[in-house]
Amino acid sequence: MKKPEKLIIDGKRLDGRTPDELRPLKIQAGLLKRADGSAYVELGENKVLVAVYGPREMHPRHLQQPDTAVLRCRYNMAPFSVDERKRPGPDRRSVEISKVTREAIEPVVFLELYPKSVIDVFIEILQADAGTRTTGITAASVALADAGVPMRDLISAAAVGKVDGTIVLDLNKQEDNWGTSDMPIALMPRKKLITLLQMDGHFTAEEFKNALALAFKGCEQIYEAQKQALRERYSIKPEGE
Amino acid sequence: MLHIQNRELVVPGQLIAEGGYFIREGAFREGDRIYASIVGLADLRGQNIRIIPLQGRYIPKRGDAVIGVVIDVHRSGWILDLNSPYVGNLFVSDLLQRKVDLLMEDISQYLSMGDVVMANVKDVNELMRVQLEAGEAGMGKVTGGKLMELTPTKIPRVIGRKGSMIAAMQNASGCQIKVGQNGRVMIWGDDPRMVNAVVEALLMIEREAHTSGLTDRVRLMLENIIEKIKLEGGT
Repeated sequence: MKKPEKLIIDGKRLDGRTPDELRPLKIQAGLLKRADGSAYVELGENKVLVAVYGPREMHPRHLQQPDTAVLRCRYNMAPFSVDERKRPGPDRRSVEISKVTREAIEPVVFLELYPKSVIDVFIEILQADAGTRTTGITAASVALADAGVPMRDLISAAAVGKVDGTIVLDLNKQEDNWGTSDMPIALMPRKKLITLLQMDGHFTAEEFKNALALAFKGCEQIYEAQKQALRERYSIKPEGE
Repeated sequence: MLHIQNRELVVPGQLIAEGGYFIREGAFREGDRIYASIVGLADLRGQNIRIIPLQGRYIPKRGDAVIGVVIDVHRSGWILDLNSPYVGNLFVSDLLQRKVDLLMEDISQYLSMGDVVMANVKDVNELMRVQLEAGEAGMGKVTGGKLMELTPTKIPRVIGRKGSMIAAMQNASGCQIKVGQNGRVMIWGDDPRMVNAVVEALLMIEREAHTSGLTDRVRLMLENIIEKIKLEGGT
């Protein structure tokens, strides 16, 4: 991929979006038969599949917590998810993303209701195009709700960044590669509590404030789509056999 | 003040009500406000708020009737799988309802690995250690029949209001049906085709648990199958 001369032309981004626009978002809940809960999310070129199992008995036993359930997350990129084949298996990056994903989701789950058990969340990135960790978190929270796990709220996540000196929402691959900063954010939309905030690059204090406001706006839209997906999954189907 | 209609589908974090309501299931309170914690159907009765779950694992509760499978035998009892994150413990004395001298009796004659047991949840402690008892009539080791697993949240629908659904299925098929709160169902019948018809009916209940008029449709479906069986001949 070559660096484009300009990433923003006449206020429009390379894929035709305005700076405060998300990529097309599609969320589907409950598509895996054998998982307790599942979700599939497409955000632009990102394709993410999440399966949730549990609460179930924790093995190995020494990892059981006597007073609470344990949340286990695995973020994994398929070898074919990126341009150059990715060597399969956990690497430094995916181990870190698994950890921050778990920490982003943990605060909303009523883990104390299921002592000694475990809730497993498997996030599989089928196709990557920047912003997979936020897409993964968005999908994971829908999958958890689909599994019937009690939660305080859903988690919505989006990335913001700086491209050609402009604050933009939901960076794509080109903007991620050639932009100057990138900041993924996950939040509990109801109370506006941030559960994940990472940053690559630099923002001035002013830019940071604007970026944060833009991320909140993006998460709000994602939140609506998440609720919509869950409602669709369980809406009363027409009667008959 | 209520913010939703009765029977409305809610999602986690959705505001249900403000004020002094009682939470029965599937919701939590933050200050004065009550929010849903699961995806489900709101069941509002007077001051009581309950969210009927649509999905989820079975969590043992005292007094529940369950169907377990023996997965381990130890000196003084058995460990049962309950189709749940937690296993059940059944002591010999809770199966036989008498004192048992473990030095005199070999308990393996009563239950062994893989046996299916109907039991009641006697107690669940804060560590989710589940104590079972299986001494009452109709409880204990199960012989014959067919064992089936459904989503535990759909079990109330299988039972029906005051057992109407079970009664309808038993009358139509002539099979005997027993249901455990943990999502397991036992079916006994002389004609295997009738047993299969009941299995079909149960799968239909699981698929359409959230629709109304289900009991009548199940009865109709069973009668259709029975009609076919009669035409084929045999018993």
